[in-house]
Amino acid sequence: MKNRLRTLDPRLLWVLLALMALGTLTLYSAGRNTPQAGIWLKQGVWNLLGLTLMVLLSTVDPRRILRISFPAYLLGLVALAAVLVVGRKIGGATRWFVLAGQTFQPSELMKWITLLYVSYRLGTRAPESVGRWELLGSAGLVAFPMLLVLKQPDLGMALSFLPILLLIPLMKGLKWRWVLLLVVAVSVGGVLGWKHVLKPYQKQRVLIFLDPSADLQGKGYQVNQSRIAIGSGGLFGKGFTSGSQTQLNFLPVKTTDFAFSVWAEERGFLGVVFVLGLFGLFLTRLLEAASRARTSAEAYFCAGAAAIFAMHLMVNVGMVAGALPNKGMVLPFFSAGGSSTLSFFLALGLVMGVLHRAKVK
Amino acid sequence: MDPRQRVLLQRRLGVFRALAWGLVLVLGSIYAWLQIVRHGEFKQLALQQAVKVRPIPAPRGLILDRNGYRLVDNRRALHLVIQREDLPTKAEVVEALSQALQMDPAALARKIQAYRAAGKGSPLVLKENMDEADIAVAERVRARFPFLSMEVAPRRVYLGDELAGHVLGYVGEVDDDLMKARPGRYHLGETIGKDGFEASGNDRLKGVDGQKRILVDQLGQEVASFGQVDAVPGHTVFLTLDAGLQKVLQDAFGEEAGAAVVLDLRDGGVLAMYSSPSYDPNLFLNRLSQEMVDRYLRNPARPMINRATQGIYAPGSTFKLLVALAGLEKGVITPQTVIYCSGKKNFYGRDFRCDKPTGHGALNLVQAIAQSCDVYFYEVASRLDIDDIYATAEKYGLTVPTGIDLPREKAPRIPSREWKRKAVPRDPKWYAGETISVGIGQGAVGVTPLALARFYALLATKGRLLTPHLFMGLRDDQTNALERVPPPPAKEAPIDPRLWAFLDEGLAEVVTSGTAATNPFVVETDKETPFVGKTGTAQVATFVDKAHYARQAKHLKDHALFAGYAPRANPQIAFAVVVENAGFGSTAAAPIAAKVVKYWFADRLKNPIPPPRGRLVDPFSPEQPQEAP
Repeated sequence: MKNRLRTLDPRLLWVLLALMALGTLTLYSAGRNTPQAGIWLKQGVWNLLGLTLMVLLSTVDPRRILRISFPAYLLGLVALAAVLVVGRKIGGATRWFVLAGQTFQPSELMKWITLLYVSYRLGTRAPESVGRWELLGSAGLVAFPMLLVLKQPDLGMALSFLPILLLIPLMKGLKWRWVLLLVVAVSVGGVLGWKHVLKPYQKQRVLIFLDPSADLQGKGYQVNQSRIAIGSGGLFGKGFTSGSQTQLNFLPVKTTDFAFSVWAEERGFLGVVFVLGLFGLFLTRLLEAASRARTSAEAYFCAGAAAIFAMHLMVNVGMVAGALPNKGMVLPFFSAGGSSTLSFFLALGLVMGVLHRAKVK
Repeated sequence: MDPRQRVLLQRRLGVFRALAWGLVLVLGSIYAWLQIVRHGEFKQLALQQAVKVRPIPAPRGLILDRNGYRLVDNRRALHLVIQREDLPTKAEVVEALSQALQMDPAALARKIQAYRAAGKGSPLVLKENMDEADIAVAERVRARFPFLSMEVAPRRVYLGDELAGHVLGYVGEVDDDLMKARPGRYHLGETIGKDGFEASGNDRLKGVDGQKRILVDQLGQEVASFGQVDAVPGHTVFLTLDAGLQKVLQDAFGEEAGAAVVLDLRDGGVLAMYSSPSYDPNLFLNRLSQEMVDRYLRNPARPMINRATQGIYAPGSTFKLLVALAGLEKGVITPQTVIYCSGKKNFYGRDFRCDKPTGHGALNLVQAIAQSCDVYFYEVASRLDIDDIYATAEKYGLTVPTGIDLPREKAPRIPSREWKRKAVPRDPKWYAGETISVGIGQGAVGVTPLALARFYALLATKGRLLTPHLFMGLRDDQTNALERVPPPPAKEAPIDPRLWAFLDEGLAEVVTSGTAATNPFVVETDKETPFVGKTGTAQVATFVDKAHYARQAKHLKDHALFAGYAPRANPQIAFAVVVENAGFGSTAAAPIAAKVVKYWFADRLKNPIPPPRGRLVDPFSPEQPQEAP
């Protein structure tokens, strides 16, 4: 056992444990006085299960895992297609398999498998030998499962596939100023267009086209309550289990999408800075794993994982503050959920394996 | 990985790391903006939706009769409500709710819309005053619609139902017009008296509402309470009414329309006041159903009018006493003046008929009153000016409202030259012939039964002008005893005792040998308790002859009146009775007066009528039943 734990990277582990502990505490506070009072325990069990999987996976050589990524990718596509046919429909979207009373969301894991397979394909060749057709093919590998997820429909999940595409510039070293220019142009143009050019009914049409199940009025209410929770938390917060927005149930879906608002309300800006700092360290460590990796494929996987986690962080934390559209995307270690938790830990197990073997070398 | 490639990779990863921390910085800035810069604003919003000030309604005072029997009680009622914050917006929720509650979906949607538009502070009431079956349904439905809540509120119970509807009135939510008319006086949704003593005694009965600051959750349910100002309960009030005597009147009227008032000659307290058809105030606590609107508000019999204080009737022969007083005081007749009645007499070229076509022959004043001879009073009136009659009426308080503590009392209508100028601008001149009709209480003259009773109280007391009132005193909540308040002051308008004796004699003969003596029950009662009074028959329409009259529809028949006092020797009560479209005063109205006399002076002492619904104790209150004083 002791030998096995040695495969874990202590710096990544501490950050991880800290985030997990804070997330579980937040869920305890969020679930109080609701029918979901036991959700923190349930999430604790998922966390332990995830940690165990992570430990087990970290002992496996990442190269062996990368080698089976193609069959896994195919299997994932089949699962995504299958869920559209036989999946459980909850709240207007067909995203879940039901297995022994537990719902399971295949798209969560598929995101990581896609990353794995794309990393494998790009990592097994020298960068110079990869042509634009190959790059386009990689984009296609990402686009295919994304489209299947969009069909569920699940816009938030589909978006979380996008960071995988960042691997292409990482590998080919696309001119950064072009990328920056593109990012700036798209975001500025998007924001300006959204705010000033599109009329409200047009925006509604766009959103409804992207996600027909969206109830705009309902989501507006949710974000509004979330902003009140965050803002009223102030610098120091209202204290653990003392947030009025949380405890009086004004804050909606507070154990999943809006768990971070609970934290922000009860722990204030200082708590927010602390958690954001932890996430910063967490992402930094993932990127360090990438830079130390033995092989390019391992490096791509670690960097892609950092990008995916960053995407979750950005969309969720931004969304609950009302800075980004309300598209359900969970915050790792804070939002309750079995599929997402297990998937995160599986990915981290791989990263741990990479770090361990890098040191061994 | 070759070293060159690793260097390139690491450089690019450095950019990734910068982007990651950049993201952390941007997110941190957004939160700094919300949590530090805009903290105050959001804190206010959070407080606003979680802390609510809710009124604690003060229990309204009970209303007791003069013996301490409950006429109006308080019960707890459960209402099914939705708090404003929880109003369902989705059409399918409203639809499902209406099905669950077995309500018309369109009606419920309209109700919600109207409530939203009204912007009231109080919750939307879906079902008022639920009975056990309703509560069972509500409990079941609440599981599916958690935004429903139940609210306990005190509720009035009018124990006698229709017994004293007009006197007691009812309560309801203050309406917008009143709120606008008296700004600052009422708060939104406040329960106030709408009619009867509930309205006029509102300030005594209502108490002072308290309020509490509570913490509510998203469903508007109270989670915690802080800072409570207790409500001060309203005073429990004793009325001068006697529930037993009131019941006598209610039973005596039965299906007949009309009104009766009995006054206490000691202080002007109203012992009984009944207006028929009456209404049941309990029914007005809920929203009116269509059936109720038809039965009460659209009924041509106008049951919502308190005929005792708002009905203006021609007093007929009961007015002859005032004409006699005017004649005596003006000196145009003396008690001994004899006038010959041949059955009719011509004034100003027109024949005025007596009720007895064959004529009464020669009569003095006492006989004229006893026989109710019209010709005698035509003659008296012809010797007077209309303004003389008005002046006498004014002196004896018959030209103004009595000042009773009930809302919307009407003033009697006593004609004068000035009155005609104002009331009939087309023909402002007063004709002497009109005075002749007024002499027998016809023509333009009209009085309320209450004013008529007060006039006969004045006769009974030889000139004390009492102020009729219902408020007797407050209940001391420690001892349950009556704390009497002084009655409103009486004015003195003394009648010359020498003249008075003749009037009293005339009124006594009405019962013993005159117009009222035709009724055996009246004669019977008079033997036990000698009482006096005057019959009256007020024309509603004019007919060719008696045969023609007999063929007429009920609503065109004469009103029957009787007014007087009892006992003759030492008067204690005065009364006036009007029975609409009932024919002669002697057959329809006098027996009701006799029933009052019989109950008050005989049966009440031996065998009193039990109070409404027995001597009930509110099952929710630890109070003991009080003994009748």
